Amino acid sequence: MAQAAKRITREYTEIEANPPQGITIQPIDEDMFKWNIEITGPKESIYAGGTFKLLLTLPTNYPFKPPVLSFQTKIYHPNVTNDDKGSMCLGILRSDQWKPSCKILAVLEMARGLLMEPNPDDAVETSIAEQYKSDKAAFEKTAKAWVKQYAK
Amino acid sequence: MSLNSVSENTLDLGNLSYLTEVDDNLCCPICHSPLVDPVHTKCRHTFCSSCITEALETSKTCPVDRKPLKLEDVSAAPIMIANLVNDLVVLCPNSEFGCPMTCARYLLGGHLREDCAFVAVKCLGCDGTIMRRDAGSECLHQLVECPFCSSSCRKIDMENHRVECPRIIAACNHCSGDFTRSNIKAHEATCDEAIMPCESSDVGCPWKGARRELTEHTRACPFTLLRPVLHAHAGRLETLELENRALRRKIDILLPPRPPTEAAAPFFDEHTIQLLAEQEHLRSDLERLTASLSEMEIQQGMLLMNESLRLKEEVAGLRAAIGGIRMQIHWLMNTRHQAVDQRPVGGTSSSSGPQNSSAQGGNLSSGGVLPNIRRMADPLNDRVKL
Repeated sequence: MAQAAKRITREYTEIEANPPQGITIQPIDEDMFKWNIEITGPKESIYAGGTFKLLLTLPTNYPFKPPVLSFQTKIYHPNVTNDDKGSMCLGILRSDQWKPSCKILAVLEMARGLLMEPNPDDAVETSIAEQYKSDKAAFEKTAKAWVKQYAK
Repeated sequence: MSLNSVSENTLDLGNLSYLTEVDDNLCCPICHSPLVDPVHTKCRHTFCSSCITEALETSKTCPVDRKPLKLEDVSAAPIMIANLVNDLVVLCPNSEFGCPMTCARYLLGGHLREDCAFVAVKCLGCDGTIMRRDAGSECLHQLVECPFCSSSCRKIDMENHRVECPRIIAACNHCSGDFTRSNIKAHEATCDEAIMPCESSDVGCPWKGARRELTEHTRACPFTLLRPVLHAHAGRLETLELENRALRRKIDILLPPRPPTEAAAPFFDEHTIQLLAEQEHLRSDLERLTASLSEMEIQQGMLLMNESLRLKEEVAGLRAAIGGIRMQIHWLMNTRHQAVDQRPVGGTSSSSGPQNSSAQGGNLSSGGVLPNIRRMADPLNDRVKL
């Protein structure tokens, strides 16, 4: 626990010192195990103009267990569950793929990368993934409408 | 406070501040801090021994490349790596309490054990702990009585108590009397030596002095005498100002805003304006004349140049003509010399041409052709000499 807090604090100061583009972080409690994240939609993506709130939850035995990333803002995306949880399906966040050497910054950047380019082959919302593959125009239309409705 | 400081036993090498930024290659991939007790795996990754042990409890894979890994596959890293991280310069973990020590990491245990003034050590007089810098032959934990408020406190806390003890004696800033800290405020309100401003300072009296002189001053103070009058004036002034402001507002509402150009006009009377206009006239005239003058100058210059060119050409022409004529004369002279040489009589004077020619110039009838040429040649010769 103490070790986890130490590493989390270290990573936080690292991110603060060199903040990544389009991502802001804000720990909720003093013990730093929950962070509010804000990701702006990448300019060249269909999510441009939207601001997405996310919640990063770090387990007490971090970094031996992976953090959990969930969307608080609704988003039309094949890799994000379309429910209250908004869980994000990020390969490196699965327990069998997680590596303790992986950093929070890499996780956040990968999440933003997924906004830029969804990964329909590793989808949690299969219907959205289907649409993304077969009728991209319709997918983009809905996604943009959702950005307007929820992420402004 | 002494209990929170770090001692050799509570030293956590993984939680130190390093003097300089540490190379990422010397940091453990799990805790992201410089390696402590470095070990390496069969897949050649290096970790802190405690970090990899904990990681293997969760998952039997390497935390970097996820290859299967068992505790038996982990062994101590080369001594060079351990030396590299042990030589890193760290701050003493008690630096937040004031310890200025920085040293190589492996020396830190010795520093905390032997030197650090901020480590809690056992008190010599009792079972308590005390910071090494405060430890002495006597126990600082025994209770002592404050000489002022007669409450008791530990000797070690006495210094803090003295700062806040309400009964401690403090001297008045103005008189030489001594008072307890709780009474000093009340005393200062009545102290005879306290410096006071005159009670008429609000109407401008600059006097300041001890309270005991105040009554005497008040009796003689001209400001105090005039006080009622000054107050009455101030009151009137205030009402007038208010009234003035109200009136100005009314005027602003009633009068249309004046055009700004009108204000400047009345400064000049008619005469001045006439003079100004005339001056303007003259100035434009002058400018016009200057322009035409310079134009004429240019024309003049052109004319002069043309003229001189023409003259030069003429002179050159004339010079050419003279050259031609001289050639002719030469030829003629030569033929004449030859003729004279053939004549026996004039043979003696052949060398002196000019004398000869003047002599012949006087005698026009004697020579038909030659004297004529001579006459033409004479003025030409003169010009050439010029």
